Amino acid sequence: MSNSLIRVHNLRKSFGGVKAVNIDDLAFKSNELTSIIGPNGAGKTTLFDLISGFQDEDEGQVFYKDKNITNIQPYKVARLGMVRTFQLTKVFDRMTVLENLMFAGSEVSNDSLLQSIIRTPKQKEYESLLMEKAIKIMKDLNIEQMSNSYARELSGGQKKLLELGRSLIKNPEVLLLDEPLAGVNPKLAEDLLQKIQNLASQGITILMVEHNIEAVMKISERVVVLAEGALIAEGPPQEVRENQKVIEAYLGTGDE
Amino acid sequence: MKLPLRWAVTLLLTIFSIYLVFVFNEEGPLRILINLLTFAGIYGLAAIGLNVHFGLTGLLNFGHASFMGVGAYVTLLLIPHAAGREGEITESGLPFLLALLIGVIAAALFGLLLGLPAIRLRGDYLAIVTIAAAEIFRLLVRDLESITGGVYGIINFSEALQKYRPAFLESFVSNYELNPSQVWVGLLSWTSILLVLLLLRRLTNSPWGRALRAVREDEDAVRALGKNAVWLKLQSFMLGAGIAGLAGVFLAFNYGSLQTTTFVPLLTFYVWAIMILGGVGSLTGPIFGSIIFWVIISETDKLASLIFENANGQQLAGVRFVLVGLLIMLLMIFRPSGLLGKKEELLLNVK
Repeated sequence: MSNSLIRVHNLRKSFGGVKAVNIDDLAFKSNELTSIIGPNGAGKTTLFDLISGFQDEDEGQVFYKDKNITNIQPYKVARLGMVRTFQLTKVFDRMTVLENLMFAGSEVSNDSLLQSIIRTPKQKEYESLLMEKAIKIMKDLNIEQMSNSYARELSGGQKKLLELGRSLIKNPEVLLLDEPLAGVNPKLAEDLLQKIQNLASQGITILMVEHNIEAVMKISERVVVLAEGALIAEGPPQEVRENQKVIEAYLGTGDE
Repeated sequence: MKLPLRWAVTLLLTIFSIYLVFVFNEEGPLRILINLLTFAGIYGLAAIGLNVHFGLTGLLNFGHASFMGVGAYVTLLLIPHAAGREGEITESGLPFLLALLIGVIAAALFGLLLGLPAIRLRGDYLAIVTIAAAEIFRLLVRDLESITGGVYGIINFSEALQKYRPAFLESFVSNYELNPSQVWVGLLSWTSILLVLLLLRRLTNSPWGRALRAVREDEDAVRALGKNAVWLKLQSFMLGAGIAGLAGVFLAFNYGSLQTTTFVPLLTFYVWAIMILGGVGSLTGPIFGSIIFWVIISETDKLASLIFENANGQQLAGVRFVLVGLLIMLLMIFRPSGLLGKKEELLLNVK
């Protein structure tokens, strides 16, 4: 209990008759890179939605640092330091890359209407610091040349990078990455993977939903397997890979 | 160079519209032009408010008329006026500026009140609720006769504003046989536009404006980044409603009497047409959109009478709506971002 950062307990969510999530107990440890895998419709994204507050559970609780965060608003979850990305990338299309990042990094108090009318020196100073921070992140992610382009002009892979950058500028403690490699070219995927691994080594706890099994096995410290909403296996990558249930439900025998 | 071309076309069209007023009206064109520009100023102001909702934040508000109505009713009831069938004159009242301030705040608060339950709705659903709320407001005002004057409306309030009319205006307008009261209202509404635009220019380029644009682009992402999207939308709703309230007050003073029928959904649709014509998301677009729109509204029957020689007045009056519809269709085909809207920021594709 003590070293589990996120814990879900008796978590149930159904859509009509379909049990999307049906997990008795599942915990994620601090400073660990955990991947969540499973066939389509296994409830991976729904689990993310439940943890991050985007959907309300039918039953059960979600704990973050032993604090009950069940049913609290997504923005409040994010303010606790847990930031998620989306399976279908959600960038702010008609804002520039820089604006995307600066909005994400801006504190709530900096966005205030009153401050924005008066344009306090404090706000100006904050904004210039924020811009430096955003530029640093763009450089790290190799998208600084797109700084002033509208986000919708980016390629699919660049959008993934931008979404990651937008989460990073918030200095998160936990990152929930929903298919960060989907639709990304192999070269960029490798970079992204390296990036994610670096983040993990910097002490960010990462939960990742991903279908790219090679990638998952390569970088995860722990793998959680879901099928039809239920937890069927969890453990170190190698162990999970050899688990008979996992092979049947998801991985297949490998002789394609 | 996209920008200058866009501006050149807009300015040319605006000047051409004003020129048409002189062509079609051999007698007293200036009088008609001033009348038209006053309406254009008031509706333009309302459209600027709507642009805060839709252009900046992506909120589909189809109840704009009610915000204008709240501003107008609250302000007029606070200054000396005569309401209802008996038309009893209330001599006492607040000074105009104070009443105006309260009226604008009331409109903003009405925005909050309507927004609290409704703002969580997305896209079309918000549109449905706002148009219904605006109708409820109008019918309520009509039925609360003891307070609002009901169908008899409110009269005798103009003096509260007109007593501040500077003397030089009188001597100036008398040379041209203009109505000094209207010139004064027109002047004030265009001054308001200027002030509101200065405020909005400051705001749209600020962190606050950036946050609203983010809400417009993707609410879920905003929430995932720790921002309270509902509260941001409510703020936008209140600001735009307040601006609409201001426009509503000027509209009442321009008519000289206040009727509930002014705030029918048609008013909202006019404001929408102006915003679309001028360019969704463009700060200054609604001004030009409004001028061109009002020239079309007021001059097309004259144009039509040249074409359809035997048509009567009623038939001709219908032509204007055909032309407005046609214009919006052409606009959607050839310039969907409006006169001054940016093509890259085309906003008329609500998800």
